[in-house]
Amino acid sequence: MSPPRGPRPRLTLALLLLLAVATVVVAPLVGTQRISLAEVLHGDPSAGAIFWQLRLPRVLLALLAGAGLAVSGLGFQTLFRNDLAEPYTLGIASGAALGAVIALRLDVAESLLGLPLIAPASFAGALGATALVVGLAVRRQGSTSTLLLAGIAVSLSCSAIILFLQFLSDSTQTFRMVRWMMGGLAVVGYGEVLWVLPWVLGGTVVLLLLRWDLNLLLTGEELAASRGVDLVRLRWKVLVVTSLMIGSLVAVAGPIGFVGLMVPHILRRWVGYDHLYLAPACVLGGGAFLVLCDLAARTLMSPAELPVGVLTALLGGPFFLWLLILRRR
Amino acid sequence: MRGSHDVLLAARGLAWEAGGRRILGPVDLDVLPGECLAVVGPNGAGKTTLLRLLTGLLRPVAGELAYRGRPFAALSRRALARHIAYVPQIRPARVPLTVEEVVLLGRYPHLSAFQMAPRGDDFAAVDKALSLVGIEELRGRPVDELSGGERQAVFIAAALAQESELLVLDEPTIHLDARHQSDLAGLLVRLKADSGRTVVLATHDLNLASLLGDRLLGLSGGKVLAVGTPAEIVRPDLLERLFRARFEIVRGGARPVTMLELAP
Repeated sequence: MSPPRGPRPRLTLALLLLLAVATVVVAPLVGTQRISLAEVLHGDPSAGAIFWQLRLPRVLLALLAGAGLAVSGLGFQTLFRNDLAEPYTLGIASGAALGAVIALRLDVAESLLGLPLIAPASFAGALGATALVVGLAVRRQGSTSTLLLAGIAVSLSCSAIILFLQFLSDSTQTFRMVRWMMGGLAVVGYGEVLWVLPWVLGGTVVLLLLRWDLNLLLTGEELAASRGVDLVRLRWKVLVVTSLMIGSLVAVAGPIGFVGLMVPHILRRWVGYDHLYLAPACVLGGGAFLVLCDLAARTLMSPAELPVGVLTALLGGPFFLWLLILRRR
Repeated sequence: MRGSHDVLLAARGLAWEAGGRRILGPVDLDVLPGECLAVVGPNGAGKTTLLRLLTGLLRPVAGELAYRGRPFAALSRRALARHIAYVPQIRPARVPLTVEEVVLLGRYPHLSAFQMAPRGDDFAAVDKALSLVGIEELRGRPVDELSGGERQAVFIAAALAQESELLVLDEPTIHLDARHQSDLAGLLVRLKADSGRTVVLATHDLNLASLLGDRLLGLSGGKVLAVGTPAEIVRPDLLERLFRARFEIVRGGARPVTMLELAP
């Protein structure tokens, strides 16, 4: 990958749109049983069932999850003026995991709003962790470094409680807890897709409306405030919107790490830093990226399925080592 | 006694505390339309704190501020930003934007969230600001590739694109070499002459203050020691009280020039 002369935001956006559409059409055709687009379009019942009911919902969920993770990663990185920040830095994923683990420990089989109880439980955990972090930071005047420290503290506390709960559980429960924390997109039907869609869509729109504020934040908090940005309210807006997005995603797919870090990082080289282009680019690029990751996760070790969270984590580590080695400054 | 319409920015009993310690005040101050007011004083005198209070970045622990007779409390942050532009001394080490993008962001208080793109008058203000500062040729360059002097020029251009009546600069020449200092001084003089813009700047460079300031405000230990014309303020006795260092007045007159004397 040779560095481009300069960012080409419009061209990149057009290419990303093509890529996203192509992955959504092609990915459902690939799997243990290969089907062709012609079969699906000509109404072959078994190919149609596999395409529309089994694989397309999963691909669409991957698309939305990747989009939401990438765009929230972008929001956090701008807010903290740190390209290494991501939603999970603030303990959102740990809170969600704690919620899920508590639900699994209690072994409740009830469902809420058509989703297994584990989903609302982890959603509540994600929002609880965010509220705790923001609450802590606001008491200390809400500087970004306090927020990061509070996030790490909440994250560590949640992990400790999770370990304790695992110790108390039998091996079946522990296995289900560990498996949940690997993240996965195995869904049937469109329930999860429809649940995630409004959060991701709404969050992206709000971040797009805040694009001037976010761009201005790149020139420093002091300057942004002097131009009329209400920093405290801006932080609140970005945190609430991103944690709703992440919470809704973690609730159905478990924690999937590194997408929020890798995708904005790569796209900045081609799109530049203007959020007007970068946010939609993250939606398209992040979506396509996770669809491809999930495709790899379910075909590489076929018929076994690798949890997609394991795959993104396996990619993420080396990606950052590679960045560190190549970094010029 | 002046009427409120003669005063651009009025501060009464302005005070700031940090950790229970009084940093500044009480300060009474009037900024007059069209003037250049230079705040001078040693490190830690409270110059930056005063500027941050005057721009509304800090809310005073005591005292009142009014812009053209309207109290700050009645003005939103954005409304205030349409009146007052600020060039802070400290900026992030990296600003991953181009010169044009940074200057365009000076238009923030005039932009609406639902606006897809900046309008014609926004671009006109950017063009005007770039040409005033004389950096049109840097337009497309990434800010991170520029020298310290060029960067300072970019942030001043961004503040000018904000099209506010009052321009507040914190130590504008601190990292600049002689040529860039003189460029900047020339720019501020031109701004005043051409557009009648009011300037408040903080500096510990006495000669710059004397050269540019219509009035000088000597700040020491958070208190106003004296306010007056350069000739009234740049006097050996006053400067020694202000800076606790001795100065020789090399050239007197309306805009006196000083030289620091070695401590005995």
